[in-house]
Amino acid sequence: MTAFRTDLITGGAMAVIGAVYYIATFSIQETANIVTPRTFPAIVGIGLIVLGLFLAGQAVVRHRKDSLAEAGPGSTGPAESARSARPAESAGDGDGAAASAGESSLETADRSSAQEGVGGIVLEAPPEPQVRKVVFQFALFFVYLAILIPVGFLLSTAAFLMGLTSIYAPEKWIRNLIFSVLFAVVVYAAFVYGLAVYLPVGILG
Amino acid sequence: MDTLIDLGGGFASALEPVSLAFALLGVLLGTVVGVLPGIGPISAIAILIPVSFGMEPVHGLILLCGIYYGSMYGGSITATLIKTPGEVASAVTAIEGYEMARRGRGKAALATAAIGSFLAGTLAIIGLTFLSPVLVKLANVFGATEYFLLMATALLLASTMSAGSRAKALISIFIGLAVGLIGLDFQTGLPRQTFGMDLLSDGIDFTIFAMALFAIPEAIRNLALGRGAKDEIQSFGNDKWMTKEDWQRSAGPWARGSVVGFIIGILPGVGPSLASFMSYIMEKRISKRKDEFGHGAIEGVAGPEAANNAGVGGAMIPLFSLGIPGSATTALLLFVFTMYGLQPGPLIFRDETGLIWTIIASMYIGNIALIILNLPLVGVFVKLLKMPKEILFSSILVLVVIGAYAIEFSLFGLMMLGIFGVIGYLMEKGGIPLAPAILALVLVPLLEDNFRRMLQISGGSFAPLVTRPVSLSIIILMVAGIIGPIIFRWWVSRRKLLADVTVS
Repeated sequence: MTAFRTDLITGGAMAVIGAVYYIATFSIQETANIVTPRTFPAIVGIGLIVLGLFLAGQAVVRHRKDSLAEAGPGSTGPAESARSARPAESAGDGDGAAASAGESSLETADRSSAQEGVGGIVLEAPPEPQVRKVVFQFALFFVYLAILIPVGFLLSTAAFLMGLTSIYAPEKWIRNLIFSVLFAVVVYAAFVYGLAVYLPVGILG
Repeated sequence: MDTLIDLGGGFASALEPVSLAFALLGVLLGTVVGVLPGIGPISAIAILIPVSFGMEPVHGLILLCGIYYGSMYGGSITATLIKTPGEVASAVTAIEGYEMARRGRGKAALATAAIGSFLAGTLAIIGLTFLSPVLVKLANVFGATEYFLLMATALLLASTMSAGSRAKALISIFIGLAVGLIGLDFQTGLPRQTFGMDLLSDGIDFTIFAMALFAIPEAIRNLALGRGAKDEIQSFGNDKWMTKEDWQRSAGPWARGSVVGFIIGILPGVGPSLASFMSYIMEKRISKRKDEFGHGAIEGVAGPEAANNAGVGGAMIPLFSLGIPGSATTALLLFVFTMYGLQPGPLIFRDETGLIWTIIASMYIGNIALIILNLPLVGVFVKLLKMPKEILFSSILVLVVIGAYAIEFSLFGLMMLGIFGVIGYLMEKGGIPLAPAILALVLVPLLEDNFRRMLQISGGSFAPLVTRPVSLSIIILMVAGIIGPIIFRWWVSRRKLLADVTVS
């Protein structure tokens, strides 16, 4: 995904979240105080909208400049001078793009993790995993969160660890099994008997 | 003189066997989390918060502070040997240190990092020792206006002085503010931004938020990547330690790095990561061997590593003496203080003199322990890098889940952890830095409370902001802190533009 699309989607999404957040402040009861309970949330909501639109607008302006000056290769970096650009009024674009964000694949995003311009330090962006794999990992994690209390810590943790390690390194299943069971038991014992943090016993209880 | 007596008392109790054990455990754990890529001081402290709940406050705080400065040492080992910074502050070490290791100078790189860290860390703690009492005296004239301004400054500086896009850092801060305002309003007890869910009226737990943002996206990303190319660990067994030339070349960067790191560390809203970047830029600027930078210049390891350790000591000053955290990690430590019912700031120096000086004394001891532990044991820590990724990251996920469960004891808390994990992942994907959000979440209740008190005292007038001498000075500094970098960037980009024009 290009830096342009990333910023457009991020900015659009932030503006939408800000709008939802701002609308939610209408249900806060008003009081007679100088600073009402609504004041801060409203400021934050508006701030998110403004910043989101600014980011999206900035991306659009930079993109236009880059496509105009086609000559410059690897162009996103030196576009510092576009900073003063006013936010464009294209929030609609951002929202539309956000909807189709799902299918982007594993191209490395131009993360701006480097110190901009000044010192010329360029840090390598970490590799990006495939989206479907990330979704799958998160799904497994949520299943673990959901079953932890009803099933109990020992069984669900051993199963979760076994699942994760086996997806990663299926051929080492014996090691995975030993690790999963041992880790669950040792951590359970350490927390329950050592630190008196009572973890859910679930169906074993 | 009083300071020395207090510090002496601190040493007396920090040297008690139990305190000493916690300090050693802290720096050891800190080194380990610093070495392991993907788990930094923030995740480690957050995971240990539920555990430290049952400890004596002084022991818990010694342990968690030890993790913070210990992690700065560990980070340089990973950066040097596999080019993956163990934590952000070591990112520049991953450039020069790794190049040194590739050229068979790994031991020299590790040594200059460790010695520089020790010297800078100790200097910063000396600064902390003598500057804190001064700030505490100053803080006595601080009112709600000044506290409000300082916190606002911290948030603004966290965005203007961050590496990367300022707009995105600001967005991160606003996300933190937005999350922090969820729950019952302190003053009126009215529910806010709960979207009709009673469960949200207690607000989002800070520890869950920090763990979700810092540990989960990193773990999920690494697990989802699967087995790619294995990280190649640079061997260093046969390398020479630092030569006489290395010492000579390191001395200047250590000294400059200490000063830069310390000053940047004290600034509210700016953490040690920026300190190491600044030191790197500075060393590159003034070096006579500019061409060596990027190819293993020892100055590029010595300076930044000194700077990030000095930054940690500097960052403790506003935390201890004003109760204002300057970075995400110190925000977490502030949370730990309040969890124990302690309020950092002038009050803690008056009412809990023994406790605060014991913590400061333990930092001197911890730093000595780190240098003793680190150089001889570097081989042991390197073995940690051979731990299979799937084992490391799946264990982290389980530990985070236990942490979240131990806080809320409910499915709701666990689901919050998962949901904020997803949010953190999406933020990273969008290039939004995570640390400012954590800082904002901790500061928002204090910010709002002081803002309200300021306006109540003045009867709704904003005049105190400029009529009180202290607050006016803070405003001037704040404006300089915001405008300064902008002008500087504009100036640089303009010069670059002109240069481009002349070339073409």
